[in-house]
This record gives sequence, structure tokens and C-alpha cells, in this order.
Amino acid sequence: MTGAPLLSVRNAARHYQSGETVVRALDGASLEAHAGELIGIMGPSGSGKSTLLLICGLLEPPSAGEIYIRDRLVSYPGADLDKLRGFRRDHIGFVFQKANLIPFLTATENVSIALEIADVEARAARGYATQLLGALDLGHRIDNRPSRLSGGEQQRVAVARALANDPPLILADEPTAALDSVRGRQVMELFRRIAVERSACVMVVTHDPRSLDLFDRVIELSDGRILSEPSQPVQAHP
Amino acid sequence: MNLAIKDIRFNLARFALTALGIGFLLMGAIGAIGLYRGIVADALLVIDHIGADLWVVQGERVGPFAEGSSISSTMDRRVEGVEGIASVRRFVQFSQQFSFAGKVRRATITGLDYPRDDGAWFELKAGRHLEASHFEAIADDSVGLPLGATIRLAKDDYRIVGLTHGLVDSAGDGLLFVSINDATAIASRRPSEQVLLARETSGNAAPQGDGASPSSVPQDSKIAAVLVGLAPGADVARIKAAILAWGDTNVLSSAEQRDLLLNQRLWRLRLQILAFASVLLLVTAIVISLIIYMLTMEKLHQIALLKLLGARNSAIVAMILQQAGLIGLFGFGLAMLLSHLTFPNFPRRIVMLPQDLGIFFAILCVICLVASWFGIAQALKVRAQEVLS
Repeated sequence: MTGAPLLSVRNAARHYQSGETVVRALDGASLEAHAGELIGIMGPSGSGKSTLLLICGLLEPPSAGEIYIRDRLVSYPGADLDKLRGFRRDHIGFVFQKANLIPFLTATENVSIALEIADVEARAARGYATQLLGALDLGHRIDNRPSRLSGGEQQRVAVARALANDPPLILADEPTAALDSVRGRQVMELFRRIAVERSACVMVVTHDPRSLDLFDRVIELSDGRILSEPSQPVQAHP
Repeated sequence: MNLAIKDIRFNLARFALTALGIGFLLMGAIGAIGLYRGIVADALLVIDHIGADLWVVQGERVGPFAEGSSISSTMDRRVEGVEGIASVRRFVQFSQQFSFAGKVRRATITGLDYPRDDGAWFELKAGRHLEASHFEAIADDSVGLPLGATIRLAKDDYRIVGLTHGLVDSAGDGLLFVSINDATAIASRRPSEQVLLARETSGNAAPQGDGASPSSVPQDSKIAAVLVGLAPGADVARIKAAILAWGDTNVLSSAEQRDLLLNQRLWRLRLQILAFASVLLLVTAIVISLIIYMLTMEKLHQIALLKLLGARNSAIVAMILQQAGLIGLFGFGLAMLLSHLTFPNFPRRIVMLPQDLGIFFAILCVICLVASWFGIAQALKVRAQEVLS
């Protein structure tokens, strides 16, 4: 990848005090991610994958180090991340293991809420949400509430919600963990498509080795440290 | 998108039951205050409507409502002679039980000084006012007598010629109006045994000096009070002083009668009801607060998600406030509906004054705001990453 990185993590650490012990959830991790990349983050449980994602997503400040998004220093030790709520809304989309849909809203409303929060007019928001769901093969489910959707459909609605504000960075934390292999693969292919078609940087924490072929590169973490970051993509993608 | 309304529509049954519960609680509090107002209104009904400026009662007593009063039935003639007095009426009131249609009824017999007073000061629901000085009666519908019915009181039959609605005494017994002479006759009814014993006593007594044949039974009928209407420009203080100077009478203004009734006779009851109303209101406040707080707590995960999506605090606060407001509003609406449907069937009058309802609504708004404030304080503490928990 060339050009300025979309996301730059510089020597980020996250330490927690647990009694007398200091837990080093993340211990001096540095990485750069570019627009259009699909990056896999792998590693054993407790290796710091989710912590890295939380720090990149401006949900936790690092204990040390800095986070830049589009060359802007956004997070550092002691940063007030609540003040970055608006920035996060415009720049980062989240997808989690659980879809976390609002149960009393329909699929369309679950997507359009993200737009309405960003002050998009309600009708326009619904229209775009319907369009997004259609693009994710959920056109027939737009008026269904989450309880009427399958796990895979719920996760696709969550992806649509993450895409609603057209964020340049999408962070996904084990988005396929609750899905069967077929549905899981479909979601990963969806991320691949999003990265290519929207020039978004998608970082996916996953345990699933079956999706390795879809990633541009894989970052491996162990004990809070980045072990390897191949300079070349795992597999070339158009 | 209005999240509060979306949530309510999704959980409509729960919302309806919550609002219904709050409605019942509020109805209880409104009912307690309404009962208090009703007792006061019932107690003051006669005093406020009978149109007396002064009440002449038994000396050294403050009757007839706060304590007993018994004066001669001819006292009105003496009172009438005082300068500045335009009209006088005799008044008597006492409780009576009697049978009708095989059931025991209770009524408060109230004597009307017919023909000076035919009862024109109260409104009739059906029938007419008194047109004869004997054996006609006007009954409140709460006594349960139909128009035209004949009832036996003491040794005479009385025909119900008129019906009123809502005319009861401070105990809630319906008023039964008869002429004052009939009322004193009913009040002075004695069993045969009492008459025989009186004759026995009288037979042993020395004969009267004037040679007249004395009655075996005391004949001096008693009334409770004389109601006085003042002439325009009359000097009240002078009139009161003149009547008090007789020694055997006391004189009270209508305002004093009101004060005696409310602050002497009924103060314990009023205090008791007010205390119950306060407790009910407190319970209502606690329950509503808990409901709104719990509803907010249930949504903490969704609130965290909204924060993750970048929702402003104002949007989250608005959602909590709107939901609390809607619960309060629907609860109040249901309370009003239930009150209007059920209170008319209660045995005692429940008076719902607009100002009381306004105060209730204001208190409810404050409760909802305070409860929301606790919920909002918790909601604002939630961090976006808690959506992962």
C-alpha cells in the first residue's frame, strides 16, 4: 500500500492494574492501515486483539502511545474519548460478534438510526438504509424486527448500520463467531467487497482461519505484542 | 425517529399495564383527597345552602353540629322580636332508622319550618317541595326511597313528595326533610312503657296550683336552633349582644358554624384522610420513580449502543424524558378515566376539584422528572464500549 495511512497506531499500550499485578493487554503495538485494505487480526485468546480494536475504535484510550486517523492525533493517554463521539460517528463503523440490534426497531430503522443520529433527514435516512439493506441481499427483510431475522441476517443488518455513515474505517470484532461457516464466509466476503468498492479500511478480529484467503494481510498478536505483519498481502485481490 | 414511541409500541402491553398500575395508584390518591373534599362539602352543605346569617342555639353550647342543642320550639317568636332581624326559621336535625321494603334505612331527619320554609333553598331531582304542614317528606336519593313511597316514622305515615340528589350530612346519611312539627313529633316519640311510668310519677306528684289537669308526659317540644336572616344594614354585634343577654341562648354566625364543624367536629377525620392521602401519594411517587428508573436501567445496553453510534447526550436524555412523560401522562389519563367511572358509585361523595387535579398533575410531572433524572444520571455514565459486555 502506498500513500498516507488512514489509521496509524504508534507504540500503543494498554495496561490494567489487577491487584498487585499489571496486566499488559497491549504492549507497544504499532501498525498502519490504508484505505481499501481488509486486515485480519489474529491471535490466541487474551493476546490483545480486542483491546487493539477498542483503542483503534476510540473506545478506550491507550496507556501509552498515540492513535492517528487521517494524520490527526485522536487518541493518547488520558484523552477524553466522549468528546470524540461525533468524530467516531463520521469515521468509524463497528461490527461485533453479536449484532447488537435495537430490538424494537425494524431492520431499516436499525440502519437509519445511525444516519438520523448524524442529522440526516428521516426520510432520506430510511431511503438510504433500504438501499443499503438491498445491496446486502436483505431487501425482503427491511420491515422485520431483529427477532424475525436469522443470525446471519442480523449480522448483515449490523454491517449495513456500520456502513450507513460511509465511514472510512470499519472495525469488526469476531463478526462471524456466532455464524455457521457458510454465513461466516458470506460476511467475510461482504467485508472484502466493502473494502474494494468503498475504499474503506476494514480491520477484522477473527479466530477463523478459513477466511485467511480474503485478507490483504494478517496481523498476529501474542501477549499484547504484534508478532508478525507480512509486508505483502496474503492474497492479491482486484 | 422517536425511540421512546418506538419502544412503547414494541412493548405496548407492558406500557399499558405500567400506565394502568400508575393510573390505579393515582386514582387512589385522587380518591383520598376527593373523599376529604367530599366530607367537607357534605358537612357544609346545610350551613352553606340554608341561607342563615345567625344560628340561635342552646345557651353555653355551640350546637347543633359541633354538639347537641335543645331550645324551646317557640324560641323563634322571641328572636323575631329583636330589632334588625328580617326572618326566622326553626331548625332541627337528628338521625333516624326506619324500615322500608323490608330493609332498614338510615336518614337524617331535617325539619323545615313550613310554610316559612318549604325547602326552596335546595334543588329537587324529582317531585315537588312541601305543600302541607304534615305527613309529607322530601328524601335524598341515597336513602333509597322512590317518589310516592310511604314510610312510617314514629306513629305516622309520610309520603315522599320530592327527591334530592347529593344532600347528605357529615356522616354521609341522606337527608329526609319533613315539616318542623313533624320532625319534633318524630323525635319525641316515646314507647308506651315510658308513658305509663311518667303517669305513675305524675300521679304521685302534688296537683298544680291553677287546677288545670297536668299532662302525664312533658309536652315541651324542643328544636335545635333558630335560623336568623338579618335585615339589610342590621348591626350584627348589637343583635348578638341582645340575644346573648337572655342567658339561655347562644348565637353563632354561619362562619363560626363552619369553623366549629370543620375544626372541632371533623378535624380528626380530616387529618386522618389527609394523612392517608399523603401516604398514598408518597407510595405513588416511589413506585413511579422505581418504574421509570428500572425502564431506563433495562435500556443501558441500547444506550451504550446509541453512544457507540455517536448519539448526542441530548438524544438519549430526550428518549428517557419522553418515555417517563408518556408513562406519567397515560397514567394520569387512566386515573382520570377510572376516577370518573368508579367514584360516582362510591358510597361517599368524592369531589375532584380542578385545582386538586392540577396539583396532582404537577406533582406527577415532578415525580417523572426526578425519576428521569436518576435514570439519566445512570445513562450518561454508561460508556459506549459497554455494548460489548
